[in-house]
Amino acid sequence: MKLPFIGWHGVITIAAYALFILGTTLYLATRGVSRKSLSSFYLANKGLGPLLLFFTLFSTQYSGNTVIGYPASAYRIGFAWWQSVPYMVLVIAGYLLFAPRLHVVSKKYGFVTPSDWFDKRFNSKAVTLVATLLMTYGLLNYLLEQLVAMGQAISGLTAGVIPYIYGVLFLVAIMLFYESMGGMKAVAMADFINGIVILAGMIGFVFLALTNFGSLSSATKNLIATAPKKVAVPPIQTSINWISMYILVGIGAAVYPHAIQRIYAADSEMTLKKSLLRMAWMPFFTTAVAFIIGIIGTQAFPGLDKMQSEQLVGMMANVIAAKSTFNYWLMMLLFSSVIAAIMSTTDSVILSLSSLLSNDIYGKVIKPDADEGEKVLWGKIAGMILVFLLLLIAWKPPATLVEIFTLKFEVLIQVAPAFLLGLYWKGLSKTGVLLGMLSGAVLASGMTFSGVKTMWGWHGGVLGLALNIVVSVIFSLVFPDKKEEQDRAEEVYFWVVRD
Amino acid sequence: MKNVREPVRIKWIWPVLVAIILLGVPWYLPQGSIEPIIMGFPYWAFISFIMTIALSLFLGYVILNCWSMESLLDDESGNTKAGGGR
Repeated sequence: MKLPFIGWHGVITIAAYALFILGTTLYLATRGVSRKSLSSFYLANKGLGPLLLFFTLFSTQYSGNTVIGYPASAYRIGFAWWQSVPYMVLVIAGYLLFAPRLHVVSKKYGFVTPSDWFDKRFNSKAVTLVATLLMTYGLLNYLLEQLVAMGQAISGLTAGVIPYIYGVLFLVAIMLFYESMGGMKAVAMADFINGIVILAGMIGFVFLALTNFGSLSSATKNLIATAPKKVAVPPIQTSINWISMYILVGIGAAVYPHAIQRIYAADSEMTLKKSLLRMAWMPFFTTAVAFIIGIIGTQAFPGLDKMQSEQLVGMMANVIAAKSTFNYWLMMLLFSSVIAAIMSTTDSVILSLSSLLSNDIYGKVIKPDADEGEKVLWGKIAGMILVFLLLLIAWKPPATLVEIFTLKFEVLIQVAPAFLLGLYWKGLSKTGVLLGMLSGAVLASGMTFSGVKTMWGWHGGVLGLALNIVVSVIFSLVFPDKKEEQDRAEEVYFWVVRD
Repeated sequence: MKNVREPVRIKWIWPVLVAIILLGVPWYLPQGSIEPIIMGFPYWAFISFIMTIALSLFLGYVILNCWSMESLLDDESGNTKAGGGR
């Protein structure tokens, strides 16, 4: 995204915005946070109210990609990209498959991370470790992607006035600072501010795009004349692909470790319900807006190739900003919203990663008898080291083996059966769930490595998940757990259905 | 017993959800067709738009009316009623 019009104003805006977030979080969201308690630090003492929970769910779910990448996708794909709206709504359906039960179970047993569920339900070191490693690996790559996006956004915003790596280091340092002081509470507070900026930036931008580049109807008419395929009912393959995305995003985004931790962090069921109820409408203000921007862009800047289309939002912004001072500062707001969207996703992923390192790797494998303060401290330090290693990779990407850094959704979604089946069926055995996760991860990553993104329209992650479920069920039937183990597993959740 | 409702155990929700989802994907419409245009959307994308609103409304209904589990936590303390192999 090249924005020659911004430069130093961009540098000052980013710096002022980041310092504002730091000041607000330190002032409002560090009191009452114990850094010696896992639950207090990583889950805000399980006391997030409706407003903070909603905004942290919202701004964590929508990343910089929604603002920059989604209009470009709509530009290239046309009306079939409408799918990005329902698939974001379907994340709520994904939650409904397991969150109601997991919320009460997590309250009863004091879970901190998704791995705590594995530990309690399957009582197997191997299962917990494999799940933890899959989630850590997926989160690391997700974080890497956000850091790269942050670098690109900053270099676009500041037009090379300062080397972008300093910008990334500055933002990461701010995030690590408020996170290490306030944990989840600070992240939720920062997400609240970021969420408001994301909404204001996107809605302001679509309004200006409509007034400057013409209506959706005129863009559609133009598209019918120039590229009718982008307006016509797509081929069946696209419809399959569309449904595959529903499964991948609907289930995948709901079982993200940081998403699951927000189910734990809700102060009550009513809070969780209210937040999800609002979340079901947010795609109309985010991905739908990005979709309209992309379609309008087809008329404003026709004939862009794939690489050029990625610059679409920047091109539109340049034209709009040149027209008046008001427009210029409104465009500055849009670009703050890009930074806000990336920051709010990044801080949540860093916190979740740190909790996995602290509660699960250190607390379950390295030193189970450590006290909670020690675990929190270890998680913070190990998290910081990993973030800086990732920064090095983001800054100077390796020439080979790039594929191992692209696996995210594909591996993260493989923990889903342990929740979707494990919460309801005592027959799901250790062996079944373990082999299921591994086979799903191998198939999904194998497809990614060999460059096969989809097969018959189905994504690697979805095919991996299907194999995962089949293997989990078959091996659970062939190698069931002992009767006592099944009864013990059932006890973990069965109290919710005893009426 | 308190009134406990869990979406997964309410069977009718899921076929309705699948129907809303499938009607929003244009697999059943003639490929290549465009007209009529409604509010800037080709008719099939407009159908999908309406089904997406239906989806949000339906999920909202389910969240409000088919989900109530927290009362279990209140009567959990000390209550070791049968079930779950205790």
